[in-house]
Amino acid sequence: MNDLLVPYEATSDDPFDLRKVGHLVRRAGFGASLRTRRDLVRKGPAAAVAHVVATATPGGDAEAEHLEAVLAFDDLQRVRSHRVWLALQDDRSLQQRLTGFWHGHFATSNRKVEDPRAMALQMATFDRLGAGAFDELLAAVCRDPAMLRWLDNDTNTARHPNENFARELFELFTLGRGNYGEQDIREAARCFTGWHVRDGRFHFQPHLHDTGTKTVFGATAAMGGERVLELVVARPESARFLATKLLRCFVHPEPEPAEVEAVAAAYEANGRRIGAVLAILLRSRLFFSRRAYRSKVKSPADLVLGTVRALGAFAAPTELAAAMASMGESWLEPPSVEGWHGERAWLSPAAWLLRSNFVADLLARRRGKLRPGPAALFAGLDTVRDRCRAATLLLLDGDVPPAALAALERVANAQERAGADPDTAAAALLHATSCLPEYQLS
Amino acid sequence: MMPIDRRSFLQIAGAVPLGFGLRGSGSLVPGGDDRVLLVVELVGGNDGLNTVIPVDDERYAKLRPKLAVVRKGAHALGDGTALHPALHRLAGHVAAGRGAVVHGVGYPRPDRSHFRSRDIWHTADPSHTRVQTGTTGWLGRSADQLSGKTAGFPAAAVGALEVPLALRARRANVPSLRRVEDFQWLQARASEPIVAADPMRAVVAATSPQARDDLRTFVGETGSAAVGLADDLAATLARYRPRAVYPETQLGRDLQLAARLCIAGFGARLLHTGFPGFDTHARQLPAHAGLLAQLDEALDALLQDLVAHGAADRVTVLVHSEFGRRVAENASQGTDHGAAAPVFAWLGSIRGGPHGPVPDLGRLDDGDLIASCDFRSVYADVLRWLELDATSVLGGDFGSAGLVAASVR
Repeated sequence: MNDLLVPYEATSDDPFDLRKVGHLVRRAGFGASLRTRRDLVRKGPAAAVAHVVATATPGGDAEAEHLEAVLAFDDLQRVRSHRVWLALQDDRSLQQRLTGFWHGHFATSNRKVEDPRAMALQMATFDRLGAGAFDELLAAVCRDPAMLRWLDNDTNTARHPNENFARELFELFTLGRGNYGEQDIREAARCFTGWHVRDGRFHFQPHLHDTGTKTVFGATAAMGGERVLELVVARPESARFLATKLLRCFVHPEPEPAEVEAVAAAYEANGRRIGAVLAILLRSRLFFSRRAYRSKVKSPADLVLGTVRALGAFAAPTELAAAMASMGESWLEPPSVEGWHGERAWLSPAAWLLRSNFVADLLARRRGKLRPGPAALFAGLDTVRDRCRAATLLLLDGDVPPAALAALERVANAQERAGADPDTAAAALLHATSCLPEYQLS
Repeated sequence: MMPIDRRSFLQIAGAVPLGFGLRGSGSLVPGGDDRVLLVVELVGGNDGLNTVIPVDDERYAKLRPKLAVVRKGAHALGDGTALHPALHRLAGHVAAGRGAVVHGVGYPRPDRSHFRSRDIWHTADPSHTRVQTGTTGWLGRSADQLSGKTAGFPAAAVGALEVPLALRARRANVPSLRRVEDFQWLQARASEPIVAADPMRAVVAATSPQARDDLRTFVGETGSAAVGLADDLAATLARYRPRAVYPETQLGRDLQLAARLCIAGFGARLLHTGFPGFDTHARQLPAHAGLLAQLDEALDALLQDLVAHGAADRVTVLVHSEFGRRVAENASQGTDHGAAAPVFAWLGSIRGGPHGPVPDLGRLDDGDLIASCDFRSVYADVLRWLELDATSVLGGDFGSAGLVAASVR
């Protein structure tokens, strides 16, 4: 293992402070309140990361009951609201971040599947297996009813084979373009014939399955889909492909070859268990490097959920889901099997306005509410400078360039001159803080 | 009223300091003469055969014993076809020379998947299979030709949650405009927009001069463009007064927003809006009639509004769907995915009335109508009318559908 994944240790030049913790909670979850962030600072890097990693595998049965209730409604809005509610739970942060990751990776849209229950069950599969061994997750996804419907495998038969599933499996889910041949796809499609759905569950139809001999990646046998999956996860390209995607999600949008090699090696060395890889990655120098810090653009979910937590606001999950959808991230309905492209694509001028207006709406109680009002966040802070610093601590971990702080002070001073009441002034200041360029970055 | 140029208007209105929010040279003159294309996409596969009915063809009623009832009250186009009874206002526009119908529009080797066929119409590429990072749409490529020549936003999606593939561009920034209210920059307390003199404005691009990388610069510029967009829209809205009554439907609202953008000179020259619901596999008669009635009312309001504002010559509206439907009705009093279908065009310099041969119900391709017109020739006509390089946008020369009269400028 090269240097990159060596654990980060705090030094006086590179302390473990609110900036580091802010970075950790933004990447490994959907943000956190200032109090939670301060608690994590006090724990120090090892304990803080361990705490966060533990949220990848929350226990408890409350989840199963909640899921039953959601399934009973068979309504996409409710499934989506449930997912948003889960994403706001502190004890599940990394699990939910991972489910978001897998949802983008194995992107399946209800627009074609048209089955909210199946979508809810697919998400639950990610919740359950997303931090485990990739082999297991992949095997489950390939039997997932929503996935089979989405990629037309529910009509893939020996007589009329359909290659869509095999193609996306190789191209988008495991290997990436150029790492397989057309022949591999054709033969793999034959292996997955008969992998169908009945009564909303996976159902293998032996009489529709092609029982002939196939050759996939050089291996020849009368094989079925399971064997294809074994062959594909064993390929080194698979480890690199996943490593690249994990790095894009957790570290930097354009991973370097050395980074990919390091993570791929860690993945193979740890039984291909995603949770184990993340425990190493999130603890590493690479993760806490300047290169990784604020290198990504916040997705709509990052912005919406992160803001709600930072401000200690209350808002209905349905409203938050709608806000995210208006900004281009409609959970359970990704635009295509490629998922969301994200990064700069999230930030058109129109999207910027939506993001800014969302924060304004929260502060103005047009959407959700802050209880108590915004002025309470600045209780006991008498000077404009102190209030501005507090606003930046709340929303930006105190890390803003001097030009930005100066611009905030001008806003706060204008509010004073206009004789604004404390709540109005506080709301304006917080809104201004959220309009700083840095706030769009994760 | 003497047309005033946009800069003067904004100075007078005090809306924005000169130079802020104005990008590039403007052609944002109220009532100015920039040509605009509005594409209205009927999503789901509109049943062309029941929209433009081959009333004189006996085979039609034989293949559609239940669905052929729409012949009664249909509005004759003069070539043996007639518009669905619900389209009475639009029939009036056709009769007045403001509307055209092109029969049998499609592409080779029709794809009957909604996703693929829509993508094909959006990319203008029948060989398209999958959307990838670099995929652009025909309107997006057109926007790229315009960007730099037009201030602000050469194209916009109207009423959509996401910008459709048709508008995906390489360089041009294409917003999606749903409600007028979404595009004001709101304050955190009052519901009023943030005004020009507000120190909030300096915040959006406030980053360190030694910003390490272009990510922060990109974000700052996006923020500034956003604020500029809000200003442009506010100014635009101030200039528009409707001269028609739009129905209180989503389509009505979307078309009215499109009209505002066309008439008040927002600067966008390529607009797209979608009208969903056309996938009528079962019980088609009431559903289809309802949809066409909505289309009739909303589109008529748009056309009237544009005419009343003197904008009829410089706006073309194109109406199409991703495919038509099978000729024979199915067992559920509906129809299944088909192929060729009619395309409609309104205003601009279109040559009114029907175009092309009436679909031949005796010569079908596996139960589907065969296209007699490649959709790209229709696109080419409107692109040339917009004075854009059609060959470059479409990746080839697809001739002409004869839709647009030789333009006199």
